[in-house]
Formats: sequence, structure tokens, C-alpha cells
Amino acid sequence: MSKKHASVKALRVKRSVKDWLNLKKYWPLYVMMLPGMIFFITFKYIPMLGSVIAFQDYSVFKGIFGSTWVGLKHFRDLFSYAEFKRVFSNTLILGLLKTVLIFPIPLILSMMLNEIKNLRLKKAIQTSIYIPYFLSWVIVGGLIFDIFGSGGLFNNFRNALGMDTVLAMQKSSWFRPIYVISSIWKDSGWGTVVYLAAISGIDPALYESASMDGASRVQRMRHITLPLLLPTILTLFLLNIGSFLELGFDQVFNLLTPMTYSVGDIFDTYVYRVGIQKGQYSITTAVGLFQSVIGFILVMTFNKLANKFSEDGGLW
Amino acid sequence: MKESFKDRLFQSIITVILCIWAFIALVPLISVAAMSLSSKAAADLNIVNLWPIGFTFDSWKYILGDNALWRAFWVSLFSTLLGTAAALCITSLMAYPLSKADFPMGRYVMLLVVITMIFKAPVVPYFLTLRTMGLVNNPLVLILPHMLTAYNLAIMRTFFKQFPLEVEEAAQIDGCGYFQILYRIILPSSKAILATVGLFYAVTLWNQFQHPMMFIQDTKLFPLQLKIRQLIGGGTELASVTMASKVNYSEATLSSAAVLFAILPIIMVYPWLQKYFAKGAMLGSVKG
Repeated sequence: MSKKHASVKALRVKRSVKDWLNLKKYWPLYVMMLPGMIFFITFKYIPMLGSVIAFQDYSVFKGIFGSTWVGLKHFRDLFSYAEFKRVFSNTLILGLLKTVLIFPIPLILSMMLNEIKNLRLKKAIQTSIYIPYFLSWVIVGGLIFDIFGSGGLFNNFRNALGMDTVLAMQKSSWFRPIYVISSIWKDSGWGTVVYLAAISGIDPALYESASMDGASRVQRMRHITLPLLLPTILTLFLLNIGSFLELGFDQVFNLLTPMTYSVGDIFDTYVYRVGIQKGQYSITTAVGLFQSVIGFILVMTFNKLANKFSEDGGLW
Repeated sequence: MKESFKDRLFQSIITVILCIWAFIALVPLISVAAMSLSSKAAADLNIVNLWPIGFTFDSWKYILGDNALWRAFWVSLFSTLLGTAAALCITSLMAYPLSKADFPMGRYVMLLVVITMIFKAPVVPYFLTLRTMGLVNNPLVLILPHMLTAYNLAIMRTFFKQFPLEVEEAAQIDGCGYFQILYRIILPSSKAILATVGLFYAVTLWNQFQHPMMFIQDTKLFPLQLKIRQLIGGGTELASVTMASKVNYSEATLSSAAVLFAILPIIMVYPWLQKYFAKGAMLGSVKG
């Protein structure tokens, strides 16, 4: 009796799933999604599941299913390594510099661009400040090495002012400034695009009535443009904070020299060198997992804060 | 209304700052161009700044005669063109079902996509997965991992969502299936978004560095960025060719020419890049 009941129930569930999938009507849509689904499974979800090797002593010969489980051993080991501490603090410092010094630049630039009323000049400036965004970090690295090299513009300029030649790329004290300068040079021009789009959506009547009341340009910027840009700033900040610890392998790798490892070696370059080149897979997966979890926590926390802060503030 | 003196001063200061910024954005490019056209003697004396000294095409002749560099150029060009075409197919095919409000599965699939944006798989298991798939030293690794991004999918989905439902319904009554609707109605009227997303993919593919760095050791399969990195980043190739006695190029002029060689294709398509990228960035700011 109960067996029969269960099978009827199972049939009902099966039918409702079938109704819900509605293969008869929607089969072409499922077929369309297939290549994309295969992509996400193979390139995103299988590697995600493969992260379990962080809890194993993974050996290539034994594979995921044959390797011994060691629990949190690698995570405990990591936090006692001096090298990990160094890489962690380097990543943290560069992440902070990125958020504090680099993030606000596109906002400032776009508010300045908005003040230029000569459209042709504005267009010309935009055309030139967008260019660096489209160059790869290999190229930008090459340009930076040229400019800061012994016969480069930077040293020629210093010499002209009577200062000594400094090999900035080989000096650890110069690495962070060069990281910041190169990021600003490459990406901040392009970063204005989203802000400019948001600014163009602001009702011009607001500016008119403000200037009628005698507000100066600076006051209009501060009391109209800036507050109305807040939702955009918040959204971009959230996107930025999620990649707080992802500084970009390409950039750092192409600016690094053996002399600047002490300050420039970050999670991404460390994982590449120790994991992929030297084959210490488990411990570097633990590093990567640590990085992903921190990124995840940061996005979730700041998203919640943003939703509390303003109604439509969060990303979702 | 007349602008006050203070306002005009403020505006002039801003204009000057922005003009300097625009100049600084171009200075490194001008400087490599100058270096690539200078003579060995001038380069060795460190006197080249923004204008070529001892004007010569010798560095360019050497770089343009470098077969390995051209090979890398073609590898990059083919993988970019093929990859962009494939990526556009896969992205639009997936974006369309996800844009349909009445498709019950869409929401859940979209959730799976969004998860990959906020929780990223670590690099090492990613590397091991692709290695198991046989993608080491395989030219497909220049294309396959870049065929879809959650961001581009979201942009295209948002765009398809704005498409009027009535047109689709009318087509359905006329006997069009979903494939026909996508192919005959949606895609032809989405050229702008296809161009934008296509250029997003193309720039990523052309500039890719980390994937080839991890997966390609065979120098015959090097894409352009990796080849340039090999030439300018501590390699001995350029140093050794400049050892010959009668050449009129130095390591500095050659590496400048090589860097510029890789920039030129980007500069050539730059007008399109600027036009369509801006559109995409604005669409990207649309949530939902």
C-alpha cells in the first residue's frame, strides 16, 4: 500500500518536473544553451570542484580520487610560512593602493571632462586618454621599462633637472609607485566612460536653477554632480571590491623584476611560480581558495551594506 | 548668464590639466616611435626623447624581416578572428533563451552564471583541468577558454530583453521556430550589440597573456604578446643580433620597434574600438 502510494507520488513529481521543463515547447531553447552550459561546466565548475585538492596531498599520478586527504593541513602550513605572509601583505598593500588611490581617479577625470564645453576639444582629449586601455600589459610593461630605464624619458628628465639616474624598475622602493602610475595611465581614462554616461543623464535644469541661485561651478560639481553620481560610484566600488585581492597577473608579472620580488610578489604571481611552474599544486590551490573566499565574502558583505545604505544600491 | 571670473579661471585650469593628461597618455607611444626610428649611436648615448635622432629605418627592417615575429602575428590574428566568431555564436545562442521571461529554466541558469562571477575557481585546479583536456601546447587553448564571459552574456541578454515581444509573437504565429526567430529577426536587428561584444572578445583574445604563458611552451605556437615578452623581457635574442659590428640598431631601438609592431593593429582599428566600446560600457551599467 505504502509502496504504491510512493510510486504515485514519484510519478506526480516526475510529471510536474516534466511540465516545468516543458521540453516539447522549449527544446530549441535548451539546445541553444547547450554549448554555453558545456563551457561553464568545463571551464568554471569542474575547476571549482577541483579545488578539493587543497584538502589533499595531491599527486598527479594518483589523481583527485586516489590522493590522500589531509584536511586543513595546507591552510595551517600556509599561515606559518614567512613567504605566504610576505605575499599576503604585498597583495593587501597593492589592493589598498588600488582602492584608495586608483579607484577615485576616473571619477575626478570625468567630472573635469564634463566641465569642458568645447566639444571638439573634449572629444580629442577623450580619444587620446582612452588609447592606453586597449594595449596589453606586455606592451604597457615594455613602455614602462623603456620610460623608466637608464636612457628613458624619466631619467633624461631627472638628469636635466640635475638629479641622478635611478633604475626605478630594479628598485623595490619604486615598485608600488610604478604599479599605481601604470594602472592610472592605462585604465583611468577608459574608466570615465561609465561616469560620463551617468553624468549625461543628469537633468540640465538642475544646473540651470543652481546657477540662477548663484552657485559657482565648483559648488554645482559638489552639490549636484557628485550626489547624483553616488549610485554609479557605489556600483563600481562593489565591482572593484570583489576583486580586491585580484590585482591582475598580467600587470604585476610584466612589471616585476627579481629585484622587486620582495614588494611586488603577489598571490597571482606566487601561485604561477610555485604552483604551475614548480608543481606544488595542493598548497597553491589552498592559496587560490583563500583568495576566492575572501573575494566572495567581500562582495557579499559590501553588497549587503550597499543595500542597507540605499534602496537600489547593491548589485542585486 | 555670464560666467564669473572665478568660474572661468576654474575652467581654464581644468582644461590645462586635461590637456596635459591627454599628452601624457600619448607620450610613451611617441617615445617608442622616436626610439624605433633612431640610430644605434643616438640610442646608445641616451639622447632620444620624443623625436628620432639619426633617423633610420634599420630597426624596422630587422623587425619586419623577423619571421618568428610574423608567425606570432598570424597566430594572434587567426585565434582572434576565429575566437571572436565562435564567441559571438555561443554568446548569442545562450543569451537569447536567458532573455526570455517565460522560459522557466532561464532564471536558474542565470544564477549558475552569476555564481561564477562572484566565486572564482582558483588558477591551479583550472590549469589541471585544462591540462587533462589536452590543452597544453594546443592552439585551441588560445580560443576555447575565451569563448564566453558572464559579463558579455549579461550585456547581450539585457539587450535582447528590450526586444518587443509582439514581433516575436507575430513571427511565431507565422510558423517561425525559436531558431528562426533568433537568426532572422533578433540577430539582424542587434548589429550594434554584436559589434560591441565582438570587439570586447577580440581585444581580450588579441591581448591575452596569462593563458599562453601557462599553456604554451612551443615557440611555434606563441601568440604575439608572448613573443614580444620573450623579445623584450630579458631574452638574449636582441642582444645577440646587435653584437654584429656594422648594424645601425641597438637593443633599445629593436625592442621599441617590436612593441610598436604589436600596437599598430590596435591603432588601426581604434576608431571602431572607441565607438563600440563606449556603447558596451554603458550597456554594462544597466543592472538586471
